[in-house]
Amino acid sequence: MNVKKQVSADNKVVTISVEERFDFSAHQAFKSAYVNENASGSLFILDLSKASYMDSSALGMILLLKDHVENVSGQLKIFKPNDAVNKILEIAQFHRLMTIER
Amino acid sequence: MSQVLGNAKLALVVDDSKMQRTVLGVLLKEEGYHVLCADDGAQAVSMYIKYQPDLILMDINMPVMNGYEAARKIKTLTHENSLCPLIFITSMATDQAYIESIEAGGDGILVRPFSPEVFKAKIKSIQRISDLITKNKVLQLAQQKDVELAEQLMSGVIEARNFAQDKIGILKKAATLFSGDVQLTARCPNGDVNVLLGDFTGHGLRSSIGAIPLSETFRTMTKKGFTLLEIISQVNQQLHQLLPTDLFLAAAFVTVSSHENTVYIFNAGIPDAYIFDQSGGIKQRVPSQHPPIGVLPALINDASLSVISVEETDRVVLISDGIIEARNPQGEMFDIERFERVVSAGISHGNITEEVLKSVNQFCQEMPQEDDLSLIDIPCGGWQQPHVINTSQVASEPDQTNTNIDAAWHWRLKLMGSRLSRVNPIPIAMNQIQELEGSAEHWQSLLTILTELFVNSLDHGVLGLDSTMKSSADGFAEYFLEREQRLKSLTEGFVEVNLSYYPLISGGRIIIAISDSGNGFNVKNYHGIVSKQQQYKAEHELKLSGRGIHLVSQLCESLQYSDQGNQVQATYVWR
Repeated sequence: MNVKKQVSADNKVVTISVEERFDFSAHQAFKSAYVNENASGSLFILDLSKASYMDSSALGMILLLKDHVENVSGQLKIFKPNDAVNKILEIAQFHRLMTIER
Repeated sequence: MSQVLGNAKLALVVDDSKMQRTVLGVLLKEEGYHVLCADDGAQAVSMYIKYQPDLILMDINMPVMNGYEAARKIKTLTHENSLCPLIFITSMATDQAYIESIEAGGDGILVRPFSPEVFKAKIKSIQRISDLITKNKVLQLAQQKDVELAEQLMSGVIEARNFAQDKIGILKKAATLFSGDVQLTARCPNGDVNVLLGDFTGHGLRSSIGAIPLSETFRTMTKKGFTLLEIISQVNQQLHQLLPTDLFLAAAFVTVSSHENTVYIFNAGIPDAYIFDQSGGIKQRVPSQHPPIGVLPALINDASLSVISVEETDRVVLISDGIIEARNPQGEMFDIERFERVVSAGISHGNITEEVLKSVNQFCQEMPQEDDLSLIDIPCGGWQQPHVINTSQVASEPDQTNTNIDAAWHWRLKLMGSRLSRVNPIPIAMNQIQELEGSAEHWQSLLTILTELFVNSLDHGVLGLDSTMKSSADGFAEYFLEREQRLKSLTEGFVEVNLSYYPLISGGRIIIAISDSGNGFNVKNYHGIVSKQQQYKAEHELKLSGRGIHLVSQLCESLQYSDQGNQVQATYVWR
């Protein structure tokens, strides 16, 4: 499985990392990684440092995650996308919608 | 299909021993099967063809044709959409028998001796797998139909209504699983052309549901004379409301204005849009500056169009990501550099779309196409001016008898201060006219007149912009930016639009009076454009900035500016 989740001891930081191809095949795993994380005010980190490729359905999945994060009054950060993935985020102008740390 | 009535399944038992056939037949009947029997492989093949059973039990060693050979023949005859499981029954409990059975196309092997319970369990398990495969095939077929419907909807219904399909180069090659690319072109009332290249997220029917409202809004608003940004804003709002969060439209919107020698581009989420010159050089790239359409409830605050001055021989080229992300068997992408080189070559050969398609096909070889390939190539020049009807004929026989009759109606709208930057009165006025008098072809000319006169009043009157700014090629972009800024900070001033409608015996007359709070302008340029000579001279003096008024004067019976230049009255007559 190329989607991994880690929750910090204090329950406040949820780190989801997607490796290799971030596309429609990750849909189910990606959704189940966050859907039950409802602690109010949590920080959600989407770690893309090991993702090599991303398509537009992945952009859609990130928007669903963003909806979820907003519902629990949390924060969303995208972490270290590589050049290819960052190019996709840039074309979609996602830095206008969320924090992207390179 | 099975020739047996009802829902019972049909089994074919193939064995040269009558006793074996009888035993297996009884067990199968207990499981609810109808049973057919064959004595050897050859007979099995012909019965398979005749009865299309749902299950085959096959002995291996038989006279005439053995079980392996019969199995191979049967498997080559099997339709892609039906699965008839084939189980070998044998007393040879060897690895070799097992391997050969599967290689011959068998779906399982049962080694004698076995109890009736084991036999029935085997039949149940193989039937379960067969049912799953059948179900899956049915689903696949339904999905294939959806994909075909989506493609048909997109190309046959939506894109077939595109404008200028002969002049605008469109490349579209849907992926194996249609991926939601949409290409629209429509003509503005003033002769400009609006173009959209979009890429919906997802595949198949799911990705095309947004295309119907998109194309309706895009066409209707273009036809009614809304500005490009107004259209984008409306489409965005609509798609945001309509589509689920993870479904959106990456798109570039373009207006090519031949009479302003200007191109307006809005890129929301697709690769760079290009302006190429006639020698194939890249004049400008317009990168994405906005999240895709439908992601946000409204456009972001500083959303604005890129305004680019162009030559008539320039071309706008738009692509979705399918071309640059196409892969070859080595896994490399077609990429941007290669794309730019190929377009340059395409321009020198005179056909961009063909060159790009050829090159992508060569690059990918036999690799399956993962995403839609689409490209639009729009020439910047050579677009016709709109609807210049033979006005001299109309003007030469004015209907004097009707000038003194009462108007059938008057309509007036005065927009003050900041409302001017938010409200476009032209679609409102056109709506009123169509509500009162029904829709008709000649309203296109009226729309052009209203648009040109209103824009003049707003730009040069209220906003005080100098039209000579537009006379240099780069000046136009500068002019547009300045206009945006002044419009945003506008707090005072007004534009008033008055319409009066006089029905004639055949046709009618509309008097359009527009006044503004500005200081007017030097009227003498426009007065008395009567004689051919003066008209010729005026055309040359007015150049870029005067084209609008020149066009209006061609469309109108009369056009009069007040002495200060802040009031204009135009009379439009149709028959």
